Amino acid sequence: MRTDELITMLARGAGAAPRAPAAARIAPALLVGGVAALALSLSMRSAVPSLLLAEPGMLLKIGYALALAVGGGWLAARLGRPLARTAAPVRVLAATLALIVLLGSAVVALAPDGQRLAQVLGESWRTCARDVLLVSLPALAGALWALRGLAPTRPRAAGAAAGLAGGAVGAVAYAFTCPELSAAFVAVWYTLGVGAAAALGALLGPRLLHW
Amino acid sequence: MTQNAAQDEFEAQVAPIWARAQAGDEEAYRDALHRIAQRLRGWLRRRMQTLPDDVEDLVQETLLAVHLQRGTWDPTLPLGAWVLAIARHKLIDLWRRRGRRDALHMPLDDVDETLMATADTEAPARRDLLQLLDELPEAQQRAIVLTKIEGLSVAEASARTGASVSAIKVQVHRGLKRLAARVRSER
Repeated sequence: MRTDELITMLARGAGAAPRAPAAARIAPALLVGGVAALALSLSMRSAVPSLLLAEPGMLLKIGYALALAVGGGWLAARLGRPLARTAAPVRVLAATLALIVLLGSAVVALAPDGQRLAQVLGESWRTCARDVLLVSLPALAGALWALRGLAPTRPRAAGAAAGLAGGAVGAVAYAFTCPELSAAFVAVWYTLGVGAAAALGALLGPRLLHW
Repeated sequence: MTQNAAQDEFEAQVAPIWARAQAGDEEAYRDALHRIAQRLRGWLRRRMQTLPDDVEDLVQETLLAVHLQRGTWDPTLPLGAWVLAIARHKLIDLWRRRGRRDALHMPLDDVDETLMATADTEAPARRDLLQLLDELPEAQQRAIVLTKIEGLSVAEASARTGASVSAIKVQVHRGLKRLAARVRSER
């Protein structure tokens, strides 16, 4: 077939361009992944007592993970298209990260001598990052699946964004079963868990995101 | 002509036509695709000097991708850069499949496009898309042949086959997608 003929064929009856809003694919995938993550979290450990939910430390933890999930999902949606403009979502993510690092550092700096390390390690530092990664797998898979239906021209970056979004969704779910309240703990171990999910996404992206 | 000048000229000429095409003007779409093909030919020829016989195949593969992904373009994006982002993706994919790892480090930008002037002649493609079309599942192939080659409307194709209008549309889209996937796995 000559290129001329191909063009005639493609144009014939083509109609108006379909709308393919990237967010319309990624958001539901993350949402379903979030439900799965919550179920997974609750199967691994019990929910925190409801009294704890109003604690500032708890709200900060959930807020941090939510902000990462929104920024990561936004970034993944942008990277799902050719010619991705990533500056705005990257700024949101950087600001979120800067804020938690700042708060975490302040907590450590203000803690009395001898308690600084405890602020960072809490009770569950050994398992936190690992479990965040574990419960985020469904959301990570969902985000990658959503990206497969789009057109990412930077598969590694798109995979990393999907991993970041999935990891953050997993972290939100995990937060409801995690009694740690220190911002320093969240800044280190939650970030590590989400970062591991992003790294996994970056690894999978080039393998899965062909089109 | 420098890269930027080529890009600016393309943008000024083709973007308005493309906008009409996106809104559903078929004639404008055909016109825009012709101009895009020309731009792709020049851009790819310059970067595929070691694979000159593959240029037209890659032009066709990119056009197919442009068509399938045209929903991902929005008016805030410069058309030329959007098209070339797709072409670059397809070119890297080709190199990867050919095992040209070193090629990934070849400069893809800032190339002098003085050869652009000769870019509008179409060389024969090596791969025949019509042949690949034959290998599609029958319903998809039939929907494509009726609406895209024989030129029936979707409603007429629906009456002819007994499939619903929306089923025909889905079959056409899935068929073209599968065609693109076949092209990718072929080399």
